[in-house]
Amino acid sequence: MTAPRLLLALMAVPLLAQQPAPAPTILAPGPTAPAPPAQAPPTPAPATTAQAPPTPAPSTSAPAATEAVSPVPSGESWFSGYIDVGYTWRSDVGGSFDAYRSIVNLGSGPKLIGADFTILDPKHRLFDEVRVRASGWGDDPYELFHLDAKKSKLYEFSADYRDIAYFDFLPSYADPLLARGVTLSEQSFDTRRHFGSYRLDLLPGNWIIPYLAYDRDSGSGAGVTTFVTDANTFPVPNTLHDTTNLYRGGVRIERRRFHVTLEEGGTTFSDAQSVYQSPSATPAAANLGNVTTPIFGQTTELSSLLANYGVHGTSVYSKALLTASVASWLDFYGQFLYSEPSTTVNYQQAATGTLLSESQLLFYTSQQYLVSSAAKLPHTTGSFGAEMRPFRRMRITESWLTDRLHDSGSATSTNTLAGLSPSEQMAALLASSLVTNYNQAEVDVFYDATSKFVLHGGYRYVWGDASDAVLPAAGLVSSDEAKLRRNVGLGGVTFRPSQKLSLKAEAEVGSSGGAYFRTSLYDYEKVRAQARYQALKTLNFAADFMALINNNPVPGVNYAFRTQQESLSMFWSPGKSPGKFFDFEGTYTRSTVYSDIGYLDPGDLQAETSLYRDDAHIATALFNIKLPGKAARGGARITAGGSLFISSGSRPTTYYQPLVKLLVPVGKKISWFAEWRYYDYGEVFDLYEGFRAHLMTTGLRFTPGPRATP
Amino acid sequence: MRNTDAALLWLCLTLAALPALGQTAGAQPTGQAPLPPGYAGLETCAACHEDIANAFAKSPHNIVETDKKRGFAGRACEACHGPGEEHAESADAAKIRNPAKLAAAAADKLCLTCHLNTPTHVGRLASSHAKDQVACTTCHKMHSNGGADLVVRAPAAINQQCAGCHQSVWAQFQRPNHHKLPEGAMSCVDCHNPHGSIRPAMTQAFGANEPGCLNCHGDKRGPFTFEHGPVRFEGCATCHEPHGSANPRMLTRQDVRFVCLECHANLPTANTTGTIGVVPPSFHDLRVPQFQNCTVCHQKIHGSYVDRDLLK
Repeated sequence: MTAPRLLLALMAVPLLAQQPAPAPTILAPGPTAPAPPAQAPPTPAPATTAQAPPTPAPSTSAPAATEAVSPVPSGESWFSGYIDVGYTWRSDVGGSFDAYRSIVNLGSGPKLIGADFTILDPKHRLFDEVRVRASGWGDDPYELFHLDAKKSKLYEFSADYRDIAYFDFLPSYADPLLARGVTLSEQSFDTRRHFGSYRLDLLPGNWIIPYLAYDRDSGSGAGVTTFVTDANTFPVPNTLHDTTNLYRGGVRIERRRFHVTLEEGGTTFSDAQSVYQSPSATPAAANLGNVTTPIFGQTTELSSLLANYGVHGTSVYSKALLTASVASWLDFYGQFLYSEPSTTVNYQQAATGTLLSESQLLFYTSQQYLVSSAAKLPHTTGSFGAEMRPFRRMRITESWLTDRLHDSGSATSTNTLAGLSPSEQMAALLASSLVTNYNQAEVDVFYDATSKFVLHGGYRYVWGDASDAVLPAAGLVSSDEAKLRRNVGLGGVTFRPSQKLSLKAEAEVGSSGGAYFRTSLYDYEKVRAQARYQALKTLNFAADFMALINNNPVPGVNYAFRTQQESLSMFWSPGKSPGKFFDFEGTYTRSTVYSDIGYLDPGDLQAETSLYRDDAHIATALFNIKLPGKAARGGARITAGGSLFISSGSRPTTYYQPLVKLLVPVGKKISWFAEWRYYDYGEVFDLYEGFRAHLMTTGLRFTPGPRATP
Repeated sequence: MRNTDAALLWLCLTLAALPALGQTAGAQPTGQAPLPPGYAGLETCAACHEDIANAFAKSPHNIVETDKKRGFAGRACEACHGPGEEHAESADAAKIRNPAKLAAAAADKLCLTCHLNTPTHVGRLASSHAKDQVACTTCHKMHSNGGADLVVRAPAAINQQCAGCHQSVWAQFQRPNHHKLPEGAMSCVDCHNPHGSIRPAMTQAFGANEPGCLNCHGDKRGPFTFEHGPVRFEGCATCHEPHGSANPRMLTRQDVRFVCLECHANLPTANTTGTIGVVPPSFHDLRVPQFQNCTVCHQKIHGSYVDRDLLK
């Protein structure tokens, strides 16, 4: 019996040794209770952030202190976030209303100014979390809606919808009739585009993740364009309607050592643009392009026109992506991408009037022009690369890329001219080809001299060829071809002597033996430098410098191009917790562009110079003041700032956008806000296109969930 | 008796094993294996870093804690910070790895331990961020705001983050003609892939390998029967300033004709310069207003389905 007693005694030892488990300070959710998702960060209403200047990003180490006191929502609620609704009044626009609409285009009316909220389902039935963002609803030019929904380990779904107004009517842009007193941009449009993007990922977090996606891009509206036939040009109205549908699906296979993504997709496309001119009942309704001064003894006019583009397109594409961690010192990356869009077109045009045939110097009274055409664009891209770490402090990356695009097209046309004696019918068959083969190989070496000092050097070789041809030939040349040969040296240094200071510089120097275009990169130097300094815990500075010098000394080109940009920004947020009393962020940027290249005037072949200069001063600033208030409601807040742009040179322009915003909590869950904005645009050469406008917005912010952190 | 002793012995052994099992379970409430030597465990970390631990529990990264397959259950903090027992005992900040103080490549390596083998990073070698020592943690805040700042999603927040380094680029958006980023209608990542892309300037792609501009400008996609070479060869930025410009339509020059004439320079012979498009097709008198904006007639400047001269 001794042995069992001994064993019983031994049995008690571990019981005595067992310490009570420490009381957990946090509730680590088990597998059946997934972690509650992140709260939506309260973001300011888009209107306020519109011109928010960049905050100098603190050095990578700096956030540690602030992160520790990050505002973690104290409790879970099924709803958190905000909804802003209000009304905007726009003053009468002083100056050019068309220019205002082309650049700003904001109007009056009730609006859903912004919303950003998260809905949680504590029971995790259909979803764990739904996040919604929306802004600009109420006939604003940019209406956005975004939704993310997810259920842990089952699905992730996102939907994005944008309704964007595109308006452009700047008479100075394209007004060939200005000399006759006609103010009309013959390249104007008033359209809306609708973008929808929907994606569903299944089994997120699993090693195999199938996904499906659908994107739709459509546009419709009206505009003014030019009808050109022979020597005749007439401004005419047109209607625009195009739609692209993109369907895709694939699977991601994500393992510890490698990953493969395989995706197949396809598109359908249609473009039903039409151009028209109704027969004019009165002379006043006649086409503005009618030439009333006789040419060869006769005036020209467009009586009626109807032209339709019946464009249909399809495409398929394949995508294969690979990453692999082959060894602890070696990673591989690879991509293979192939697409083959194609289009078919049936163009029909019927015009009547008195029109001049340039080739015969004869007049005709009607034209019927029919075109059937097709084009196909097989496009293959492949890349392959590796990152090697042969030594602890050294990394070597090597990559290769090829991109091959071969477009071919053909068009058959029949052009029937009536009113000549006899009537004339001309048929034509054209074939076109556009080819580009682009290749790039690069090797880079990174050396961590210390943890604070990193050196980078590299070499890139770029080569390729391109050709563009239409047969049969017309004019002086029917086909062009060029070669691309470029050697590029790369270098950089990163120095972070302390947590408060970081310095970076990088340079790229290229030398070419051939380029596709006269203005392409040829012999160039590109430099960028950045510095960041945290002077105090509450005060950050950042400076940024960028320059590009490009020269092509080849006789017949002699291109000189220089651009330079310098920025200095500051962020100051005094107080123990950032933004407790006030904060200020501001940036000043100076930007210059100089370009000088010669050409021969196509009228008299005299040598001319295209000289472009732009010297711009740009500043943005935002000053936030938090007024004292009851703790439960938070204090009121005033935001003032905006941006200014002043340039001189080839197109001297000024553009000011000041704003002031006031946010006052009026209840536990409601705040009132008011905003004033001013837009002032001016041009020196086209004074009549300047404008000024005030916008006043007022509304309420609802924060039904836990109070949003200001 | 011997049988009785033997039975009692087995009973005692079995009972003796139970507390040992209980001890293991008690030390690891989440049912995980014992901590490897040198590790302190998340609960120990949370005792001092309560705010961060609470925030972490709401972060997508909490899956490291909850998913046993990942190998860090019970010690998620140490998945990135390394073994923390010594730090926990001494409370010495120098005795634990702080990724924020590492060189960018070393910090990235920690992230890429889990994240490399995902489609996100397939373009990493072409990423200027990776080349320029911009660490993942520059944009992805691990702990702040309950994990909501791990990946910022709202366009205005994305733009503000990018503009923190790219101030001069952000300044271009303050020019009158610009893509509508300051208005919050777009974000930088609509056009650029910050993790790298095989397209120039880390731009996004449409479909497989077509320019990302076509995501919104689908009407310019083609393929056209008669292409305009620069659109395919060097992209939209040949003629447009994509961020913003004082010139209408975000053109690179103040008047359309200069954009055109700088390439179509009307040189008498084709290939003396080795470049494309230098020879004029016909006579144009630039003194006449009609010819001062080339796109008045050559309206299909991005490519035409029906006309070789891009007139219709």
